[in-house]
Amino acid sequence: MRLPDSVTGSFLVVLGAAAAYGGWILPPVPGQPVGPNVFPLLIGMGLALCGLAIVFGVGHSFEEEEELVPLEDGQAAAPPPQGKLQGKLYGLRALLPPALLLFYVLAADRLGFIITAAIMVYVTSTALGAKWKLALPLAALSPFAIHLIFGKLLRVPLPAGLLPTPW
Amino acid sequence: MLKTLLDAFALISTWEVIIAMFAASVYGLVIGSLPGLSATMATALLVPVTFYLSPIAAIATIVAASSMAIFSGDIPGALLRIPGTPASAAYADEAYAMTRKGQAELALGAGVWFSAVGGIAGVLSLMILAPPLAEIALSFSTFEYFWLALLGLMCATLVARSSPVKAIAGMFIGLLVSCIGIENPGGVPRFTFGITDLFGGIEPIPALVGVFAVAQVMRAMLTPEPPPLPRRKFGSIMAGQWKLTKLYHWQMTRGNIVGIIIGVLPGAGADMAAWVSYAMSKRFSKEPEKFGTGHVEGLVEAGASNNASIASGWVPSLLFGIPGDTIAAIAIGVLYMKGLNPGPTLFTEKASSMYAIYLMFIIANILMIPLGIAMIRVAAYILLAPRSTVMPIIMLCCAVGSFAIGNNMFGVVTVAAFGVIGYVMEANGYPVAAMVLGIVMGTMVEQAFVTSLIKSDGSILPFFERPVAAILAAMAIGALLWPVMVWVWRKLKQPQTVVATSR
Repeated sequence: MRLPDSVTGSFLVVLGAAAAYGGWILPPVPGQPVGPNVFPLLIGMGLALCGLAIVFGVGHSFEEEEELVPLEDGQAAAPPPQGKLQGKLYGLRALLPPALLLFYVLAADRLGFIITAAIMVYVTSTALGAKWKLALPLAALSPFAIHLIFGKLLRVPLPAGLLPTPW
Repeated sequence: MLKTLLDAFALISTWEVIIAMFAASVYGLVIGSLPGLSATMATALLVPVTFYLSPIAAIATIVAASSMAIFSGDIPGALLRIPGTPASAAYADEAYAMTRKGQAELALGAGVWFSAVGGIAGVLSLMILAPPLAEIALSFSTFEYFWLALLGLMCATLVARSSPVKAIAGMFIGLLVSCIGIENPGGVPRFTFGITDLFGGIEPIPALVGVFAVAQVMRAMLTPEPPPLPRRKFGSIMAGQWKLTKLYHWQMTRGNIVGIIIGVLPGAGADMAAWVSYAMSKRFSKEPEKFGTGHVEGLVEAGASNNASIASGWVPSLLFGIPGDTIAAIAIGVLYMKGLNPGPTLFTEKASSMYAIYLMFIIANILMIPLGIAMIRVAAYILLAPRSTVMPIIMLCCAVGSFAIGNNMFGVVTVAAFGVIGYVMEANGYPVAAMVLGIVMGTMVEQAFVTSLIKSDGSILPFFERPVAAILAAMAIGALLWPVMVWVWRKLKQPQTVVATSR
């Protein structure tokens, strides 16, 4: 997902310009010199300026030492195991967690918490390399444990859906 | 004074607080020791649970979990050379070298002991610094608050280990996120695109969970599994620590002080403190050649530093609502939820609650010693849990926790969206902490700015007229220009060296 600075910078210019324009067209508050439009206008302009600076490589020299810093999990970004075989598709695996969360949003009300959660756990676990012998029991048990803590103890109204919990 | 102290004791000596603190300690130790799960993530995932606790118990869980997680990140650092949290990254190599020399007990013992000492030093700084600063802060008007907030935001961009331009861009993105919703000076829907869920704005907590937890699961999808921990028998862990304290008392004190200062600076937290202290220890050591070969001196200083920053990070948070680090950013969210709105009046009106926070920090750091030793002994079993069982549970907690915050599904969408934003930003060198600060402080900056502008009738001059405001303004502008000056200085120096070498 490492994009060239020119791409991220241009994106910021567009985002900043859009924010500034969005602030500009907000209606002013009668009898008040400064309204809700000033702040987004300033931020949008600032963001666009930063974007321009990034496109032209300003401040890039400060980034050199970043290479020395390990990633948050303390490992250098190691090449993926079968990176060459799967190529670009391998990078898309990173999108699995947010996709599963959106799946939860769409499916939880209909299928119920237990079933949706079990599917999420199974998919995540297999994607991280677990065999079905491990992933299946985990998917069967962990939703109940989470339901016990959040649904029963903390009284979060989790959707029951197709499979109501025994308690 | 004595009565407030007694009140504070009464507040924390309930079963709820004691159990919450103990459970959160164990939770923090476990999460911190698992590589890839940071202390910030541990705290963020705790928030939904704190909803259902009393205010003091809620703060107790955060205090205990964050302190413990910062220490227990040292465990895999020393045994596997993989830091459990970013705060331990600075000295993981050193600690691992000690383990290879057969001094694992000494390295881990130094981790526990100097973490606890550092934590207590941090609390002392909180107790000493906060009340007099609160006195000063009582006379602050919106002008001072505006500059103070700006200074906080600028500090966060200065200390980021990345390009300052990207850090400022990250901060602007955070401020832009805080613009969403109808909570603005005009009360008009802003950047809501007609979506009703956006009217209430983006809640900081789901955004933080997304940035720190979901983005981490996303990263785990692409990185290989860390190796399992070799099982080993430990000798006495605390043996020799007193001798080290006497030998390196100056290094320990210096680590404490550096940690406290870095903790107070907005946006810079435990990981920064550890890096700076380790580098400082090497720079000023009498035997710098031993560093990197398994020398305990740097461990003492950096271990004392990163835990000191945890408590002192609460100073600006409690006083001004400006988070000292990302953990404090979450704590501020919880404080608001529990009716303990940050501000100088907190120290006069809710003095007993403040004393309770101090006491809990002290207890957590004392509790760290026995629990930490137990954790070191069982760490090999806990680290047996493969990532493919831990990460799915984290995902479930993200989904359920973000739903629980507002009992609506939009929270889950926010978490997913910010997971992607955090992942992309981190991968491209945009510091996430700067954005988080922008989100948390956005509303406050805008309110202070717009109110000041209305008071001054659109004129800029009053922003500099009050003495304290002028000083803060000079500091904020200086912080903004600092990278430019460094850049110019480097440019000026470069041609000279080139000329010198070409001759």
